[in-house]
Formats: sequence, C-alpha cells, structure tokens
Amino acid sequence: MIQLLFFGRLGELAKGVPTMVAAQTPAEIRRLLAVDFPMLGMALSEPQVLVSVNKMIVDWDEPLSEGNEVAFLPPVTGG
Amino acid sequence: MDTIRIQNNDFDLAQEYQLLRGLSATVGGVVTFSGLVRDFERESSIESLSLQHYPGMTENLLQEIIDQANARWNLIGITIIHRVGRLLPTDQIVFVGVASEHRGEGFTAAQFLMDYLKAKATFWKQVSQDGKQFWVDSKSSDADAAASWESNEG
Repeated sequence: MIQLLFFGRLGELAKGVPTMVAAQTPAEIRRLLAVDFPMLGMALSEPQVLVSVNKMIVDWDEPLSEGNEVAFLPPVTGG
Repeated sequence: MDTIRIQNNDFDLAQEYQLLRGLSATVGGVVTFSGLVRDFERESSIESLSLQHYPGMTENLLQEIIDQANARWNLIGITIIHRVGRLLPTDQIVFVGVASEHRGEGFTAAQFLMDYLKAKATFWKQVSQDGKQFWVDSKSSDADAAASWESNEG
C-alpha cells in the first residue's frame, strides 16, 4: 500500500480521502481519487501542483513501491 | 558551519548574529535578513497566520539550498530559521544569516537563500481574516526571483 499526504489547500479538499491506496504511479493515484473526489482530482491536475515520493520531488509517472509515502504539494508560500 | 531550524518558538536576532560572528576569526561580515508577519493580505488586516510544513522534506530542501549557496560562493556559515504554527502580525517568521569574509558574497548569498526558500521550501501559509481561514496564493514574482538565479551563475 501507498501512504498519501496532502498539504496546504489540498489538505482541505482531501477530507475523507483514504490515507492508504494501492497504485503503480502518482498519476494513477490522481486518476483514482478523481473518481470519488472530483474537486480534489481537478486541484491535483493543476500544473503547479508537485508530487513527491519519500520526500523527493518526482514525475507523475514515477513507479511506486510498497510502503512509499506520496505527498501532493500545492505551490509553496513560506518565507 | 550551517544551521537549519524549524520551530514554533521565536528566535533572537542578536543571539543568531553572535553565533555567526563567532564561527571564525576570518569572518569579515554577517548579513542577516528577518522576515515578519505583515498585517496585510488581500487589502485588509489579518488576525493570525498559520504555517504548515512537510517535516523531513523541508529540512532536506533547505539543506539543498544551503549546499547550492556554498557551491556558488565562499561562505563561512549559514543559518536558516523558519517558524511554523500560529503567528500574529509583526511576529518574526523567518531568519537567514550569512557569515563570509567579504560583504559582496554575504549580501548576494542571503538574497539567493531567501529567493530559493520562498520558491522551493515546503511551507504553506494560512491566513485568518474576518473569522475565516484561507490559504495564501503563491506569487509569480517569487518564482521569477528564484528562476533569475538559474541563468545567473553568481
């Protein structure tokens, strides 16, 4: 299973979303989530949203392994 | 020597300055930047700011930014402090300090560190205003400031 994390405004859109899923790539997770959570699916498809695996920014078609931590990151606003 | 701290507590500017100043007798100058919570968002006052981050990833990203600064300039020490949690207007939110032999490298590196921090480090601000909460939008000017360093080798 893959553990999911959502930050910033994505965290609010992800209320009620399962925290563990089975998927081969982050892009597949996005497709799966869009079925039951269309607002979240749309937000995740915005080009500024980045995805990380085990705290490293990756492409959406990065192959996933059992136990990976996938985080969805809206544009950052620190500083 | 470089330091990264992400904390709820406030920081003391004088103390951070003294730590950088005392790193080596070759330190010729210390440049510091302190960012504050502005009481102004979407053209009106705010009640508070809440800072979220991605523990573990944020520290890794800040270390990468520090490594890039050290690769570009001859620096003696860098300190980055970023606060998280609930903050009020006028609170200190971020500190960047650079100790170097010469002022030019210190000024330039401090600006580079802040530009990259704002564009890349995994922090998100949520504002409370008029009893409502909203997430702050990123500014394209911040992305542009970071991008300008990509074509400028320092």
